Amino acid sequence: MVVKWEAVVVVIKYNNTHYKRLFCCCLVFLVSATLLGQTKAGTPLKNGKDKGYVKKVLDQIEVETLFSYYIQDGQNAAVTGGEGTEFLTDTSSTLVIRIPINENDVLSIDTGLSAYTSASSSNVNPFDQQNGVASPWVASSGASSADVLAYFNPSYTHSSEDRNTVYTASLAASQEYDYQSFGFGLGLAKLYNEKNTEISLLSKVYFDAHKPQYPIELRGGFFDNNMRGSGTYAPLFNGFSQLKRNTYALSLSFSQIISSRLQGAIFIDAVMQEGLLSSPLQRVYFADRPDFFVGDFQLADQVETLPFYRYKYPIGGRLNYYFNDWVMVRSYARYYMDSWGMQGLTAELELPITISPSFSLYPNYRFYQQTAADYFFEKEVATSQETFYTSDYDLSAFTSHQYGMGLRYKDIFASAKLWRIGLKAVDLRYSHYSRSNGLVANISSLGFLFVVD
Amino acid sequence: MLFAGFFTTSCVAVKEYEKAQLNAEDMGLSAKSICRFETNMHIYREGAAGANGGKMGGGCGCN
Repeated sequence: MVVKWEAVVVVIKYNNTHYKRLFCCCLVFLVSATLLGQTKAGTPLKNGKDKGYVKKVLDQIEVETLFSYYIQDGQNAAVTGGEGTEFLTDTSSTLVIRIPINENDVLSIDTGLSAYTSASSSNVNPFDQQNGVASPWVASSGASSADVLAYFNPSYTHSSEDRNTVYTASLAASQEYDYQSFGFGLGLAKLYNEKNTEISLLSKVYFDAHKPQYPIELRGGFFDNNMRGSGTYAPLFNGFSQLKRNTYALSLSFSQIISSRLQGAIFIDAVMQEGLLSSPLQRVYFADRPDFFVGDFQLADQVETLPFYRYKYPIGGRLNYYFNDWVMVRSYARYYMDSWGMQGLTAELELPITISPSFSLYPNYRFYQQTAADYFFEKEVATSQETFYTSDYDLSAFTSHQYGMGLRYKDIFASAKLWRIGLKAVDLRYSHYSRSNGLVANISSLGFLFVVD
Repeated sequence: MLFAGFFTTSCVAVKEYEKAQLNAEDMGLSAKSICRFETNMHIYREGAAGANGGKMGGGCGCN
């Protein structure tokens, strides 16, 4: 069957109507691709030569829908200079479709929306509350209190007939109100030693751009009759002239089968970022500048200012062991360092437990620890003489613990069918995350995997 | 230590017919789909990222 594709050009603009259009365009693309992208394994190739049965890399179209709800709270909001509510909710939905184009090729489409409300972001302008006094501990009601992230990530994979070489090409586009990103990637994987060893190289490039939303008091013409402080409010802020951010990432992985029950992999990344790496909406308060208030809200001295370059060097590894037919062990560890002086350690352990042919449980634990970036200062600690400064507690020193449980239902025959669509698996997962500096988060995820005959 | 052992283990290849246990879904070496939201959350809330088969860039991570 000859496969034809229709290109869909997605135009992204800055309002919800366009997000809806984007989502509709993606759906049209996906439905078209699903209907057109079906071939049968073992059919003669189009040049007339029948090479016999060739097992397809992917037998059936797979459709995966994923949903999550995330909620967090804390008291170190970066938007309000390291003190203030971090209450945030995020609801995400994702659609992933994997379509076998022929015996060797697979097209994947990964698209979704993430809608969040953020108390800290709402305080980009804390003075738009309809009731009450402006405060870093109270969410505001303005436009910056919520946003939607939309993304569209197609990729194409080609495997050689002996399945020892895999080529991948991918695109990535995402958009939210004050940020847009476009990227592409190329990958190559080679398998050796009777497919016991795999080495893969993946490169990705992202070209991002800010549409900066500065704190309201730093925008031209700000004045409030209720301002309190000694002298005249004169922040150091000048605005950023460079609004672009580029990321160049190279990822090398090496995986090895060690025995019939044990296999592992090592991942080494090198990432270079350049451009505006600061978040323009994050306030900084200096120790050597007078304080000014409107209501309970302290006016910014400056916004976060970080170096033009950042180099990241994470190295991680996975080791999985098949203990018996009931229990497996999945482990992961990572060491991270970067050019901003941060170091991080991550350790994860998951124990998949098979409780019946259809159901499995996934208790898991994750430990993480990081040192502070060289440019991190608590509120009112940095001085205006510093070149770089931030009060973003995501860059502070902390330890975090995450506990979770997952449940998976699987039906390898996908016997529950609606028309040609069979339900193959359902995943449910919940995790509780807590940081030593007080941030607490809960995340629930739900996933459905369907196959299309 | 584990990874040192990893490199120095037997050079004898495991045959295809011996890989039934390794091919179990939960033995996969890549991150699982259902974990992607947690991975995103870690990218936003922590300074370290990468080397886990997840996102390596793109997006401001400012919330």
